[in-house]
Amino acid sequence: MSTADKPSAVLRAATPTPPAIKHAPEPRKPVQQSLALPVSEPAPLQALDVALTEHAGTLSRRMPVRAATKARLWLCIDLPALPLEALGKPQRSTARAVFAEEQGIRRVMLANEKATAAGIRVGLSVNAALSLLPDLQLEMRDMNEEKRALKRLACWAEQFTSFVCIESTTTLLLEIAGSLRLFEGMAALRRRITRGCDEQGFTAQLAIAPTPLASRWFARAGREVCIDDTVHLNRPLSALPLHCLDWPDAVIESLGGMGITCVGDCLRLPRAGFARRFGATHLLQLDRALGRLPDPRVSYRSAERFCALQDLDEEQDDRELLLQVCRQLLHELEQFLLSRQMQVQRVQFSFFHLRAATTHRVLRSVQAGRSAEHWFELLDIQFDRMVLPEAVISIRLRAEVGQLSSTATGRLLFDASTKPRDGSIACLVERLNARMGDACVRGVATVAEHRPQYAWHPVSVSDATPRRTVAMTCDNEQPLSLKLRRPLWMLKEPERLASEDSRPLYQGALTLLDGPERLESGWWDEDGIARDYFIALTVNGVHLWIYQDRSEKKVSWYLHGIFG
Amino acid sequence: MPSGYPGLDRHLPGGGWPQHALTEILLEHYGAGELKLLMPALARLSQSDHDHDPESTGWLAWIAPPFQPYPPALVQWGVELSRVLIVRPRDAQEVLWAAEQALSSGNCAAVLLWSEVLSVAASRRLQLAAEKGGSWAIAFRPLSARSQSSAAALRILLSTGRDGTEFSILKNRGSRPATLRNILHGDAAS
Repeated sequence: MSTADKPSAVLRAATPTPPAIKHAPEPRKPVQQSLALPVSEPAPLQALDVALTEHAGTLSRRMPVRAATKARLWLCIDLPALPLEALGKPQRSTARAVFAEEQGIRRVMLANEKATAAGIRVGLSVNAALSLLPDLQLEMRDMNEEKRALKRLACWAEQFTSFVCIESTTTLLLEIAGSLRLFEGMAALRRRITRGCDEQGFTAQLAIAPTPLASRWFARAGREVCIDDTVHLNRPLSALPLHCLDWPDAVIESLGGMGITCVGDCLRLPRAGFARRFGATHLLQLDRALGRLPDPRVSYRSAERFCALQDLDEEQDDRELLLQVCRQLLHELEQFLLSRQMQVQRVQFSFFHLRAATTHRVLRSVQAGRSAEHWFELLDIQFDRMVLPEAVISIRLRAEVGQLSSTATGRLLFDASTKPRDGSIACLVERLNARMGDACVRGVATVAEHRPQYAWHPVSVSDATPRRTVAMTCDNEQPLSLKLRRPLWMLKEPERLASEDSRPLYQGALTLLDGPERLESGWWDEDGIARDYFIALTVNGVHLWIYQDRSEKKVSWYLHGIFG
Repeated sequence: MPSGYPGLDRHLPGGGWPQHALTEILLEHYGAGELKLLMPALARLSQSDHDHDPESTGWLAWIAPPFQPYPPALVQWGVELSRVLIVRPRDAQEVLWAAEQALSSGNCAAVLLWSEVLSVAASRRLQLAAEKGGSWAIAFRPLSARSQSSAAALRILLSTGRDGTEFSILKNRGSRPATLRNILHGDAAS
């Protein structure tokens, strides 16, 4: 339900509304439960009278401020040229314009500087515009593209504050009261945001004010103000022309007919009369803009999992260029993760082709991370060996659900000589894995077991235990007596040796130097052995570790290891 | 860095293995005592304590070993197993690449690599990577590489016979070539 559907609920404030309806969630609409004034249109006049007689007098009479106790500060990013800029990076040298269809007539809705200079005006029909400037680059407005661009910008803005709100189709609101210290004040923060918008190809008008509406109106008017207290809000707000308030044309026209052209003029009007003539919504907006009434917003929450798709202008097989696009995506991922204080361990690149099946590449990192350059290094290693069936038309980067990053600040105090993270063995293993596959790098560990082939096992390096503990267990649980000599080289599978008169041969007759060492074990798990091991010397002077299998009736010799 | 064999140390400049450099060992066949020669030094490297970052230093990387290095035997020689890294690349190019990565990472105290082919340029790269990462590179190569020139600081040729292993120092930066016998005490199996 929305309050607009049920004005009566507001009217009869004393009548209890059914709780289920009252608390029903309203995902998109700003939360308005604590407002005393009705917000619906058309205005319920009776109710207004009641509400307004309490504050009889002109609009500008100060009302008790019932806003939230904590001072808030809103930075509004207005993007006047978004319909044009969302369609691609602007090229200032060409005349461009965007048109939209209104009642069957296609009209120019926005033109860039070059086009404006040539006489293209907003509202001009497409045909007229083209006859005026034949090489005008005309494009249809794409609302979806605009939405996407705005969302992307909202994600980007999340690095400055945890509260970003998509206010309208071309404006973002950032609550920055809590961010000022970190970003060294309003001016510095504003410079950063302006620069960031500029780098992404957006023309932005920024304004800072203590109420969301005021900041939005200032930004829309192009007044780049920095007001941090409602006390100082009245005068600059009064000077604003009405057309930047987003009020319906009819209202502005009839106000204009009365000689009222700016906000200040409105504020001098009697409240009751203003509400009756022009609707309570506008009165309410003025009150909210001045901070007399609370004006809550809903924060934009972007997805928790990163996924970004970059379409290329044309099919591309230049690897350098593709790598650059990937790098851009990785930088977006970094920003995304940074704003959430998260890290990922796995990302997936997908390269889409027009005809061939999509090529996927998964990058794994031993340690969770978010550094774009680190991921790029891993991609670069893999990219060398990657085979693309044909040219690429778009690239997608997806990351797994992030894990919260743990900061290693504890070490800062106690261990001043700590190396940077990228000097760790994990980084080396990761680089090797990235190029040669996951199974190529292994550590080893011993197992308490008599059968030589089971006396050790490979371990993954990332969970290798610290050296001290292993050294201890090795000393205590060492299964093989230190007196028993073991070869440094072991064959994967024992190799059967030829024999002559039951004497083993290997590159000639073998001389048995030491043995036998009898090993009989493992009868319980169907892989039991019954062997006599010998150390043998070849004619070349190589020491071998060979055994005689006692489980076989015929005497047979096997080579199992080499003393390196 | 002492090799653990006084007979060999006498002939090496600085009384031991050249550090932060490439050592080449030329072999007729495996099992000529090539690992035994290195074991005392490798054991010491793997156990040496680096106070600042024990997790990331002192690693021994084995790149493309021809057989499985047998962990119980390594333990017997005093090698710290938790510092052993066994890398199995898929081709000769990757062997070189992996060795360079390991050498220059600064994590590995020693990098052992087995490669049939190693060009002069490649040996130069390994030498540079070893200098950069402060690591000891040991390349095992077939006998046929004897006539090839190399950037290694030390080249030793191992040949075996009934009466033990013969060590020919082919190239020795800072000292003279020499031929040694019976420097590994006892037989090669101990």
